[in-house]
Amino acid sequence: MNWRRKGQLGAIIAVVLFTASCAKKTPTLNLLVWEGYADPSYVKAFEDAHHCKVSASYMGSSDELMAKLRGGSAGNYDVISPSSDVATSVANAALAAPLDLAKFPAYKQLSAQLTALPLVRVNGQVFGVPFMWGPDPLIYDTAAFSNPPDSWNVLWDPKYKGKISVWDDLSTVYMAAQVLGFDKPDPAQLYNLTDEQLDAVKKKLLELKPNIRKMWSTGGELTNLFQNHEVIAAMGWPLMTNQLRKINFPVGETIPKENTTGWIDHLMITAASDNKELAAEFLEYMIEAKTQKQVTDVTGYTPANPQAAQFMTPDQVRNLHLDDVDAYQKHIYFWQNVPRRAKYNEIWNEVKAAQ
Amino acid sequence: MFSRAYKLAVTVPPLAWVALFLLTPYLLMFCYSFWSISPAQTIVHSWNVQNYRELVTVSVYWQTLLRSMWIAARVTLFSLLLGYPLAYFLSFYGGSRKDLLYQLVIIPLWVSYLVRAYAWKTILGSDGVLNTLLQYVHLAKHPLEFLLYSPFAVVLTLTHIYTPFTFLPIYASLEHIPRNLVEASHDLGATPAQTFWKVIFPLSIPGVLAGATFAFVLSLGDFLAPLLLGGPSGIMISNVVVSLFGAAYNWPLGAAISFCMLVLVVALLFVSERLEKKWSFS
Repeated sequence: MNWRRKGQLGAIIAVVLFTASCAKKTPTLNLLVWEGYADPSYVKAFEDAHHCKVSASYMGSSDELMAKLRGGSAGNYDVISPSSDVATSVANAALAAPLDLAKFPAYKQLSAQLTALPLVRVNGQVFGVPFMWGPDPLIYDTAAFSNPPDSWNVLWDPKYKGKISVWDDLSTVYMAAQVLGFDKPDPAQLYNLTDEQLDAVKKKLLELKPNIRKMWSTGGELTNLFQNHEVIAAMGWPLMTNQLRKINFPVGETIPKENTTGWIDHLMITAASDNKELAAEFLEYMIEAKTQKQVTDVTGYTPANPQAAQFMTPDQVRNLHLDDVDAYQKHIYFWQNVPRRAKYNEIWNEVKAAQ
Repeated sequence: MFSRAYKLAVTVPPLAWVALFLLTPYLLMFCYSFWSISPAQTIVHSWNVQNYRELVTVSVYWQTLLRSMWIAARVTLFSLLLGYPLAYFLSFYGGSRKDLLYQLVIIPLWVSYLVRAYAWKTILGSDGVLNTLLQYVHLAKHPLEFLLYSPFAVVLTLTHIYTPFTFLPIYASLEHIPRNLVEASHDLGATPAQTFWKVIFPLSIPGVLAGATFAFVLSLGDFLAPLLLGGPSGIMISNVVVSLFGAAYNWPLGAAISFCMLVLVVALLFVSERLEKKWSFS
């Protein structure tokens, strides 16, 4: 190769390296979170303030998050939002980085009921910050019900054959167990069902199948199912109720008399993240009272930072039950670690595959 | 004729490619299928045949496989019933517009699979185009629910997607039939039906077999159509594999199912190639 050729090659390499380094100048924060947690209404301000780009992927279920983290793609994400069912496993498996709480001034404002929980504490270190919490309510099309439903049993009503939807997630297993009364006397039993109880749950869910039009796996999917009048009742998240209300769809939401399960979502920084500093700033931003109010506006979830209430209308405070949190939480059994998660998944898979 | 170096240069890269991107992953998958999963959800590298035993004993797995084959068989049949007449018409009566018509059949292949699947959703839904029309002309009082989120929707969508795959090889085999054979048949007094069944169809069998293999194998492994349009009882074997590799984090069992599918598909390809050879006329 003569000198001129070498010079040309060098120039090309230089240009490639230069563009590559330019591309690196705007850091990107990759999120793997629940839908609604990366809405531009609040993420944009963070991007502008920190000259970075926030790019979000959505998870369809807690198990999907775990599978992605365990399957070796943990390095692709900086921030994750595991719920109370898998947060402990994530921390235990060293998939998340421990947090230096001194860097999070807003942490002290968070509800003490949430920060006191042992969920994300391992060996005296804290691996996540509580972010949002809420129930898995019964959502229904008010045009289809003359009397608002008050029991999960409405999903099993033969009248609604092919008219309901459930989440493609273990939550549906918990719900069936609640309908069968396995949560009495101890709600924690939902997450520790025996083999006999799981068999009963499976039978109960197989009875539900004729009524299921489609199992939803993303929030947007359930919103569409209601909007297109494919279903009239489903187990969902307050996010869908919020989305449907925004488009003036006649939607109702209730916590049935059997009570329901719920979740406390935590924000964590992955152990493999290259942007831990920026990620920490993002976590702090997300638990500040003002951001928490904005997240609530999008999702309809209850903020972990009670000071968010000062930015809300009295109506909003009442709808979120921020004025009677203790009474409200009596109806919600927060997801816990499920020691036999594989067995639960097996049952759920068998229900899905059954004809 | 060619130098040793040249022969090496043209054979090594494709072989390396196949070894690296095809054989190695399959081998890894094969290994995984003999491992197991611990209660703490980690993969244990202890060799056993538990996964294969589970496939035979737990009925949902082989039932889902049978159901997938049944769906694939129907898709194959309908794709052939649509693809053959289309190819026949184009090959014998296409005339000067042959190329244009050929392009029209191919165009759907340029559109993303997902877009086509979602298009069917808007056509078949309760509020969809078809149901609205049926109610408008009073053919139906209520929206027909079986149209969407049902095995019907899966078969319809897959047939739509894989018909071009059956059309192409059939068209190619029809194009290769020497036209003087057809003329000779007419000259010897055969009716058009006799000409078709005694001359044209037997000569096009290799194309039909190739097309049928495409449609069957591709639809057997499909998971998007059942996911988007299948509803609660329309799931296929690939959906089970996806969920085992994903949510359930049971890679070993997922690998065992995948390996069984692989064996099935390879056996099918082998049989269909043998049959094609038997029926080819050159």
